[in-house]
Amino acid sequence: MKSESVRPTVPKCTFCENPAIVYRKEVNHHLCKTHFIADVELRVISNIEKKTLISDGDRIAIALSGGKDSTALLLLLYRLLPCWNDVHLIAITIDEGIAGYRVETIRSAQRLAHQFDIEHRIISFDDIYGNTLDSLLRGKESQACSICGILRKKALDKGARDVGATKLATGHNLDDEAQSALMNVLRDDLPRLVRNSSTMKSPYFIPRIKPLSDLSEKDIATYLLIQDAWTDLPECPYTHNALRREVRSMLSDLEYRYPGTMLRIMDSKRKIEHYLSGIEITEPLRHCKECGDPSSGEVCQVCLIKRSFSH
Amino acid sequence: MKVVLPDKNIKTIDFTSVSIEQILLDLGINPLEVIVSRNGTLVSEDMIVGNDDEIQIIRIAHGG
Ligand SMILES: [Zn+2]
Ligand SMILES: [Zn+2]
Repeated sequence: MKSESVRPTVPKCTFCENPAIVYRKEVNHHLCKTHFIADVELRVISNIEKKTLISDGDRIAIALSGGKDSTALLLLLYRLLPCWNDVHLIAITIDEGIAGYRVETIRSAQRLAHQFDIEHRIISFDDIYGNTLDSLLRGKESQACSICGILRKKALDKGARDVGATKLATGHNLDDEAQSALMNVLRDDLPRLVRNSSTMKSPYFIPRIKPLSDLSEKDIATYLLIQDAWTDLPECPYTHNALRREVRSMLSDLEYRYPGTMLRIMDSKRKIEHYLSGIEITEPLRHCKECGDPSSGEVCQVCLIKRSFSH
Repeated sequence: MKVVLPDKNIKTIDFTSVSIEQILLDLGINPLEVIVSRNGTLVSEDMIVGNDDEIQIIRIAHGG
């Protein structure tokens, strides 16, 4: 069956005469390149303002893995800097020691920091824990993501403290956040569901901020691609988290059929946080008896992992 | 019409008039997980494409 050629129809931008590159179903807007970039930047700045994530004088450590989310984070914060007085950015990259993956992403992080003239620190698991993730994980590959997550968190905290940061910014996007929230419900982990590390008033933690938490994974990819800031990098070889993979695929399907699903999950989470505010649902913080760092148990998770390695 | 799939394989499809979104759904791809360009330019997925067009589908990698 041979059909006739049909003249392509290009939808126009809602705000100007240029061809649209994106259709945002939730708000029924067609956006051209210029208006899409403006829309993304506006959504990030309103997220920051709404939650007071950044204040004048902040020294912000950016967790720069070199992947797409942290690349977009650096780009966006750099552009939005004139919104505040005297805010300073420092990039921190954690080298977990993952063969065939990290070399390329670290190179990308270095290029980026250099391009924007931002101070850059690389901290390796080898320096802090005396070994690479690859060797630490031998025989425990199935727990890779949870072990790596715990070790990376501590490494980032240390890096941020070392550079005198007042905030630690990560590139978590709306997809990540909605997945995590739903996973915490599925695991019946209420303390983790309502833990809000950006407002945590503790002398032991540098507040963590997620300026991109209102942007979808697709928004971020599009934002980078149209500005030629997209680099096709390998995915981490340890992406074994089975539950996250299922939740991701399910949520992305729901979001497509019912636009706004992920934002509604985050609104529910905020409401639960609000109703529970002031109620103690987590164990009070104590100090790890091995390393002295704040911990919810007698021994912190990092020291528990270290113990399991020495056996 | 030539369609470059995320795995770089090429598929040729023939039709009279179809939106990019419909092409993706027919291929079993969730439009939220990919970015699509037409003749090298990013386009919105409700665009109706023609038989002379070349469509490239790029999968969005997860992570950091
Ligand atoms: Zn426009
Ligand atoms: Zn400890």
